Amino acid sequence: MAMKINRRAVLRGMASAAVSLPLLECMLPARISSAQTAPARYAILFAGQALGCDNYAKNQSRIDGQSVTEGGHYVADTSYGRGFALTTPLLPLQGMENDFTMVSNLAIPFNASSSDGSAVPSGGAYRDFHGGGCSPLLSGTRSTAAEFTCNGITSDQVIAELNAGQTTHKSLVVRSQPSFYVSGYSFAGRQYISYGPGGGRSARIEAQASPQVAYRSLFTGFVPDNDDDAARFDFEMRARRSVLDLVLEKRAKLVNNVGQADQERLERHFDEIRDLENRIGALPPIASGECFVPPDPGADPPIGGDHDGGGTGSVGPDSGYSDEHTRSRIFADLIHMAFVCDLTRAASLQITAFQSHMNARPIADGLGTLPGTTRPARWASVGGDLHEVGHNGDPNNRGQIPSAGLLQWHISHYAYLIDKLRNSPEGGGSVLDNSVIIFTPEAGHGLQLNDGTSQNQTHSVENMVMLMAGRAGGLNPGEHLNGNRAHPATVLITAMQAAGYTGNTLGDVSL
Amino acid sequence: MLPRVAGVMALVAIVACTGQIGQTGDRAGPPAVDPILAVESGVRRLSQAELDNTLRDLLGEDTTPATRLLNEDEFRPFDNDYTIQQASDALITSLEALAEEVAERAMSDAARRAALVPCTPANAGDEQCFREFLDAFLPRALRRAVTTEDIDSYIPLLAFASEDNAVVDNDFYTAVELAISAVLQDPEFLYRVEQGTPGDTPGLLELDGYEVASRMSYLLWASMPDDPLLAAAAAGTLDSPEGRGAEALRMLEDAKARTQLHRFHAMWLGYRSIPHSAELAGAFNRETSALIDRVILDEPGSYLRLFTMDETFVDDSLADHYGLPRPADGEGWVSYEGTGRAGILGHGALLAAFSKFEDTSPTQRGILVRTRFMCEEVPRPPPDVDADQPPQGAMDALCKYDRYAEHRDQSSSCAGCHSLVDPIGFGLENYDVAGRYREHDDGLPECLIEGSGEIVGVGAFNGPAELSRLLVDNDYVDACAVQQFLTFAMGRPTTTYEAELLQEMVESFRTGQHDFKAFIIDFIASDRFARRAQERL
Repeated sequence: MAMKINRRAVLRGMASAAVSLPLLECMLPARISSAQTAPARYAILFAGQALGCDNYAKNQSRIDGQSVTEGGHYVADTSYGRGFALTTPLLPLQGMENDFTMVSNLAIPFNASSSDGSAVPSGGAYRDFHGGGCSPLLSGTRSTAAEFTCNGITSDQVIAELNAGQTTHKSLVVRSQPSFYVSGYSFAGRQYISYGPGGGRSARIEAQASPQVAYRSLFTGFVPDNDDDAARFDFEMRARRSVLDLVLEKRAKLVNNVGQADQERLERHFDEIRDLENRIGALPPIASGECFVPPDPGADPPIGGDHDGGGTGSVGPDSGYSDEHTRSRIFADLIHMAFVCDLTRAASLQITAFQSHMNARPIADGLGTLPGTTRPARWASVGGDLHEVGHNGDPNNRGQIPSAGLLQWHISHYAYLIDKLRNSPEGGGSVLDNSVIIFTPEAGHGLQLNDGTSQNQTHSVENMVMLMAGRAGGLNPGEHLNGNRAHPATVLITAMQAAGYTGNTLGDVSL
Repeated sequence: MLPRVAGVMALVAIVACTGQIGQTGDRAGPPAVDPILAVESGVRRLSQAELDNTLRDLLGEDTTPATRLLNEDEFRPFDNDYTIQQASDALITSLEALAEEVAERAMSDAARRAALVPCTPANAGDEQCFREFLDAFLPRALRRAVTTEDIDSYIPLLAFASEDNAVVDNDFYTAVELAISAVLQDPEFLYRVEQGTPGDTPGLLELDGYEVASRMSYLLWASMPDDPLLAAAAAGTLDSPEGRGAEALRMLEDAKARTQLHRFHAMWLGYRSIPHSAELAGAFNRETSALIDRVILDEPGSYLRLFTMDETFVDDSLADHYGLPRPADGEGWVSYEGTGRAGILGHGALLAAFSKFEDTSPTQRGILVRTRFMCEEVPRPPPDVDADQPPQGAMDALCKYDRYAEHRDQSSSCAGCHSLVDPIGFGLENYDVAGRYREHDDGLPECLIEGSGEIVGVGAFNGPAELSRLLVDNDYVDACAVQQFLTFAMGRPTTTYEAELLQEMVESFRTGQHDFKAFIIDFIASDRFARRAQERL
């Protein structure tokens, strides 16, 4: 059953907020802009992080062991409409205020009286936060167990399906955090944010976690300008295709001689090889105008070791970090150029995994020196991993400011991508004018989903925030809107519609 | 009478603890063939570690490209569970990049090139020499005898060697490089595909010698068969229990077998990536590996010594770390006498595993013992409990034991499950996250640690030695070791239908006085090892 957002409730809620237009109309004044001639692109960037810290109100922090009361750090401060104040996490978006809209106060429904899987409402979250929140957040589909599995198609893949066959790559799905980092454990599903039609385990889309391979996959098909280089390129492409042909020729012999379960596994593998072969065999993209082959990023940064998934004392400086900063920037470069060159129209970038145990210290130490980041006035390096920072794993530095600083780092990658897209001319405008780019953290801040009673918690699907940049489909960004407890999937549906989706649902949620 | 076989049958032990108890692996009803005769198997993609080892042994590749370029394997607790493997675009593009990189490197090194190509090409398009290369390379790479047809399929690649192209620096080895790249992307190389031929029993398939050889090499070495093993497969030696046993004995002499035994235990017992400094983790690993080597390979006898050994292998700094006497020659075995430690549970590697909130976690350690040493399933916490937080009930309490009061309160919903795990962990509380003995909570002299623990329903203990004794005397660890070994060997979880098979294997392990080396050899020699049943859907 589709879950309707009660428009009247939305309007009623709006009356108390300083926003004059109903949420959706405001975001999407016209379905498709007649000026738009280039294809619409859609991307979603994900941060495995919450908006605040456990037991800390939005203006409370502890820095260097001192208690601090100070506003302006919680991502969605109280100024709404145009010209809203940029908070600490949003500082990388300075100068781009008119390029994105922030929708805050979004909420995923849950059953306050029962934590049973069967009692989860439509579009709702199973009461175990990590795992339970994934499906409703990204696919608008209710979760019924603590599994990191979306039970329906995700927004990026709706757009990918819409554009299937029109670009070399159906979608670009990448992840910056290559390892789970907790000694003795694995990602176990936390590494997926993209799911194909129907959702579920078999529809998971494995993200490419190697920037080197992602680069190669996107940009080795370009024919060089220089004649000699072009001739070498032709040789290499013929060799690659011959190699893949040779492998594919073995398909029937291998597949026909095994049982049905084995057949299915091998067929899936051969299908993927065939798709690769088809991509190589398709008309090679030509670099022209704004579209060119970006510099080779080279070998991937080394993958960091494991730690015990804890706080300051146990996450050593040598563990839990694989230069996610550089990896994220490379992936943002690749998404940008893939959009410019129309290699794909749908992308997802998981900067950090669900329940991310990436070491927070390299980011905390680098805030202010890492390009695109700004060190808050009150700032001290935060120890522990990202997940534990949210749960106060650093005794001296906890609360809103540390969390806001680390969220800012995530948003710096979003800002980097948006800035590149808006500086890439297309038609009479920019690529950003034909794009819609979503940023979503994993969690909100408020009532705890697990126990349903504790306040000011990170394990919360209340007060969730999404950022939506770009002007595809006539979007008119530049505001902070009060979502008045609308489902976050409503923002995704709006964004999908801007990117050409003609439906009005995502999973259980409808506009 | 306590359950004789842990694992699936031991679920009855935790009936008091309500929660979701998974029925792992029981996907599709009873199998077509009695697992006593043959167990189900499916195509298994090489894990990252297996692929890296195979590339090392096949091509001399030493840069662990699979670890660098492929997505991280899921450990459940082993890295080889084929039931969750799924091909993807990311996998295929990474494999292509890997294949090209590895093939190019193999050809750019003169020594490695010479090792692979047994002839000197007369010209760029020397088909004879190319065939000689393929004839030598393909059987090793595909782990089977190859036909002329197999070899013929690569011949078209020679055109890239002989093509007259002014801008390309191509030669004979261009074709070799492409052939290697093709093989490395061939599902027959990347997966272990077992077919087998139908025998007398419906649904039962007899594996051929090569399929058996791959089973043996990936079980004992996590890598491809070597030349003697392939020769044994070709000669039919592996068709007989004696032949398989003899080869297994030979293979266990190889250093690769030691590494594999270390890897198996580290994944099983949860210490595969010890969260301490590289130096300390290295010392812990050397300590634990030395014990594994000793009780399985160097002094074959009862494997139970893994849990009861009264001495341990340390260097001076690790001895100082533990507060043990220093060994005689800078590194060696020192006695545990008077320490309360015994066997692997006294090791820093194990005591560091499953810590939480920067300290030991009695709950996590209890779960470790229940799930990994007793092969029981512990239900996950109910959803309304936020397990990312330390116990909240008595947060104000100074001492850790008191902070866990809520878990013990029989009137709370927590006690049902926590009573199964916390008392085990509290019996190890005198040992900190780095395996050092402590009298009191870290930094809190007033919080003396009593260190008394209990496996509810089994018995009380204090410290690793007494815990190990309880686990051994009550027949948990031998049964659990067998179940974990079978899981690892099959590359998937055992099912309830395999309980009888497990029981039989446990009995034979016991009959053989717990000689793990003999158990492995018997496992490989058994008829069952050379058979399979088709998977049900």
